Amino acid sequence: MTEIRQAWRIARTSALYEVLQPGRLAGVAVQLSLQIFLTWCLWRALYEAVPASGGLDRGQAVTYTVLGTLYGRLRGPDRGLARDTVVQHVREGSILYWYLRPVMPRRYHWLRAVGDQAYGFGWALLAYLACLSFGLIGLPASAAAAALFALTLLLGQMVLYYLLALVDVACFWTLQNFGVLAIIRLVQNLFAGAIVPLWFLPGWFQTLSSWLPFEASLHVPISLYIGRIEPSGAGRYVLVQVVWVVLLAVVLRRFWRRADQQVVVQGG
Amino acid sequence: MRSQAIEAAGLRKVFHSTSRRPGVLGGLRSLVAPERVTTVAVDDVSFSVSEGELLALLGPNGAGKSTTIKMLSGVLVPSEGRCRVAGQVPHLDRRANAQRIGAVFGQRSQLWWDLPALESFAMLRDIFRVGDDAYRKRLDELEGLLELSGFWRQRPRHMSLGQRVRCDLAAALLHDPAIIFLDEPTIGMDAVVKEQVREFIRYQTAERGRTILLTTHDMAEVSRLASRVVLINEGRVVYDGGLADLQREYGSGWKVRVTYAPDAALPEVSGLTGTVGDEHRYAGTDPAGQRDLLRRLLDRDDVEDLQAHGDDLEEVMAEVYRRRSAAIEVAS
Repeated sequence: MTEIRQAWRIARTSALYEVLQPGRLAGVAVQLSLQIFLTWCLWRALYEAVPASGGLDRGQAVTYTVLGTLYGRLRGPDRGLARDTVVQHVREGSILYWYLRPVMPRRYHWLRAVGDQAYGFGWALLAYLACLSFGLIGLPASAAAAALFALTLLLGQMVLYYLLALVDVACFWTLQNFGVLAIIRLVQNLFAGAIVPLWFLPGWFQTLSSWLPFEASLHVPISLYIGRIEPSGAGRYVLVQVVWVVLLAVVLRRFWRRADQQVVVQGG
Repeated sequence: MRSQAIEAAGLRKVFHSTSRRPGVLGGLRSLVAPERVTTVAVDDVSFSVSEGELLALLGPNGAGKSTTIKMLSGVLVPSEGRCRVAGQVPHLDRRANAQRIGAVFGQRSQLWWDLPALESFAMLRDIFRVGDDAYRKRLDELEGLLELSGFWRQRPRHMSLGQRVRCDLAAALLHDPAIIFLDEPTIGMDAVVKEQVREFIRYQTAERGRTILLTTHDMAEVSRLASRVVLINEGRVVYDGGLADLQREYGSGWKVRVTYAPDAALPEVSGLTGTVGDEHRYAGTDPAGQRDLLRRLLDRDDVEDLQAHGDDLEEVMAEVYRRRSAAIEVAS
């Protein structure tokens, strides 16, 4: 019981940053609504000029990009406002308190991420239902597509967690190198399809992307949802996602072990 | 005989980092061939702290105090040497170690910056698995000592430094640790809050029997709280002993300044070193001499002003460092 209580308490931290401050909650709602609306307007306008592109019709393209906007919320609240990102803790030296608690930093980080992503998922789900009811996006292409979307979304969330966690733990070494971190984030968003659907990018780019873990977090689930990837061809993608989850989990474990051994506390 | 709560033997900590060369070209060169820099933060530190004792770990900035505390609290892994806290090596089992110790690093907070302090306390209650009854009891006790209830519903980002550190002290003690590490807990505080925190620290050793390792630059705090001090400089211990012994060995002695009424007859006592204006100055090294002088002066009706000074601890510390440096120079 105490284990569950401890996990619950840790997991809900970032959500409390927003829930306890109605102004911030309203700000998030307005920002998300605007983002969705602008994305919807932009892609409808683009398709006025080009009826079909990248193998996606207008409905598919709009659904892909609107769902891509919701994907941004899956990372949870902006912890930077609360001075609670890993890089902030490492820079300010308060990371040392992570080593003075009976919950190991790796577990604490994982519980926080689970809470953040679950809270973000709640937001995304509400926004998704609102978008559906306003007719901004379409329903899944089929029942099989919906089921595979749910499965690949879950696996994609795990891939996303490991990718974000690796960037976080990398802060223990790349503290003075914000440029590298910014590049990693850009690459992550680009290859996930969060900036532009990968179907619109050149073939060589899509081939390159298929060798990287990023598309597993967003591009694959959404492409299944809109029917751009047929359920019959989903097996390969699911397998790739599972391989990435296992590989990234092993790498992250090693990263944490090294970070625990050579933690440096800034500022004396 | 009390057993040892904290033991450090030959502790050494070396940090390796890369240095960036100046300029754009230098930056590019650093990217390709980074310049490795090795820093010895702690060279050879050995001391121990008995259960229930308060030890002040002193030294100038960069001496290695904070690094030593971080090794003892299990945050950093020593490069060499060994340390034990409550009989265990702290960094080998950080989870178990965390239950035994509490820590406050005055310049850093363990509170969640954007949550009310009470929410942080509840978070730590669950992280440390403190029962509800024990938590309420401890919070009541800490509220009585630190007067937190006026601001514990605020977020740390809205608190003054004094309020934030008082909340941090409470947070460090919610799980009732036997050993506490305090790294400059009163830095930047005003006199009133400082006094409250000092009394809190004194209470924790005197009444609750906790072991405390304290670093501070505030010598009034040291005089008030510690009977034993360890001085470190450039990562090495240069003195380990009683505060009174330190003052006796390295101090310049006592001083008394007296202003007598006009036409007063001067007492026949030894130790007069000179007169500046109306002020007569006495000095000596024997504390009994100072006591005798003060007794005689207080019996007189013609003393208009009287000031007695002991050794200034900062001067005493400076003297220790001076003599050690001289000894090293002679040896080399």
